[in-house]
Amino acid sequence: MKQADKRAYDKDYAQAKKTGKPFFPYAIFKDTVIASLTVIGIMILAIVVRVEVGEPVNPATTDFVPRPEWYFYFAFELLKIFKNQDALTPVIMATFMVPNILILLLIVWPFIDRGPERRIWKRPFALGMTVIVTSMLCYLTWMGANSPSGVSSQGLPVSGLDEEATKGMAVYMANGCGSCHMVAGVGAPGPGPDLSSEGSKGWDNAKMIAWFKAPKPPMPSYASLPPAELEALATFVNGLGTTYK
Amino acid sequence: MTTSRDIGPKNPAQQVAEAAVDFVDERSGVKTGARWFLFRNIPAGTSWFQTLGFTAMVVFGMQAITGIILAMYYVPDTQGGAYASIQRITEEVTWGWMVRGMHKWGASVMIIIVFLHMARVFIWGAYKYPRELTWITGAFLLLMTMFMGLTGYLLVWDQKAYWATVVAVNIFASAPVLGPYIGDILRAGPEFGPATLTRFYSIHMLVIPAGIATFIGLHLYFIMRLGISEPPWSKRRLRIERDEEDARRAAVREHAKALPGAVAYPATWSAGAKDGTR
Ligand code: HEM
Repeated sequence: MKQADKRAYDKDYAQAKKTGKPFFPYAIFKDTVIASLTVIGIMILAIVVRVEVGEPVNPATTDFVPRPEWYFYFAFELLKIFKNQDALTPVIMATFMVPNILILLLIVWPFIDRGPERRIWKRPFALGMTVIVTSMLCYLTWMGANSPSGVSSQGLPVSGLDEEATKGMAVYMANGCGSCHMVAGVGAPGPGPDLSSEGSKGWDNAKMIAWFKAPKPPMPSYASLPPAELEALATFVNGLGTTYK
Repeated sequence: MTTSRDIGPKNPAQQVAEAAVDFVDERSGVKTGARWFLFRNIPAGTSWFQTLGFTAMVVFGMQAITGIILAMYYVPDTQGGAYASIQRITEEVTWGWMVRGMHKWGASVMIIIVFLHMARVFIWGAYKYPRELTWITGAFLLLMTMFMGLTGYLLVWDQKAYWATVVAVNIFASAPVLGPYIGDILRAGPEFGPATLTRFYSIHMLVIPAGIATFIGLHLYFIMRLGISEPPWSKRRLRIERDEEDARRAAVREHAKALPGAVAYPATWSAGAKDGTR
């Protein structure tokens, strides 16, 4: 804003204040009404929708559904969009670049939009940003709320399993791998990549186990699983799409 | 009905109270300060949308009170103590389910209210001169509010919260350069364990609340110093804009009379604008 615009604003605002109303009771009244309604609303919610106690933590059985609180669903859905570990959509876009760009934009916004105009219909860029950001957030949150939370206990539609691979599939099911990965159309579509043809990568079991123990974030480490289970799991995953279809 | 003011000396209790207020005011200036705060003018068109910041503040206060009550019963112990204490609060402690319920719902509601407050400030252009710093302190308040949600979620120490937090901390830790250090600070070491819970507990109930309180203080300082902005479409503003528009149109008409033909187009254009046919 130019100096002249600033002075014009100061003058206009002083005028608005001079012809204004006292803070008490006018603003205080409205504030009290809305704040009271909000607190009453929270109390009603607390009474109607009771809090629950979930399953106790058990770091050994990773039978989990990594669902954050609803207000982080958008970030979680972002992970699914950038789940392919390829050059165009690397995970780092979702875990680092997009969030930090948004935070930076948020903080420096007053220095980007500096014109004197305050009426929203004369600020097409700001209006566009409002619409785009709000609808993106709503859409991603809605997607997160409706995403499948895991695999059913029936098993995966994969045939040709030998004894070791059957054990491996049981480990896969028991540890909630399906809440981030999909195999033959069963499981969550992300944040992890689809594993239906993981076998075609041609990894050996040692390489796969090393990955389980120290994977790339956001996948958690499975180092706490017994070696026999890791071995079975690696056999199962390394055969997906090749030996077991 | 008569009051003590009408006849005879004042009620002694009232005399003592007034003397006490005067004593404090002489030394602190609170009476003068409160009078300035309460009776200073705000623009006449101040709207219901301008109640959201105050509401966010009240919900934060409610979170502080319910949080303190929860802290009286909560045990940050990973060997079953945390889980058992949450269970006890929910099932045994008198009104415990209510306090926990209000704290949990309060967190969600606070996020929504802060977001709506920010949307109102954004749409009104209320972050423009001279309120840029008010906006920046607000942006930090939004980030800290979300971080409250993240750290609080782990404290119930159930499967869902635990694994969601493991994934979230992994994401922080995967950031380039500083990521590994941030991960270690959040986890209180290379692994997720007992120290992680106490660390999240103290971040959730000491570090961030102190930060939020400080930034609310700064935020309010700026708001009181600069005054609450006027709605860009207040009656007063609309009248000024109408007057300006009329003056501009009159000028164009004058101009058109002096130079017939030369500005015929703007003249008809603004005539159309007047009766709404544009
Ligand atoms: C814990 C969160 C917050 C609290 C308690 C809070 C509190 C308040 C209060 C009480 C006001 C007075 C006017 C009103 O109620 O609208 C206000 C104004 C303001 N807030 Fe916030 N706020 C918070 C978050 C934010 C955020 C996230 C932003 C933006 C990024 C923001 C930016 C502003 C600005 C620019 C004003 C001045 C608006 C004007 O004068 O019209 N605040 N805030």
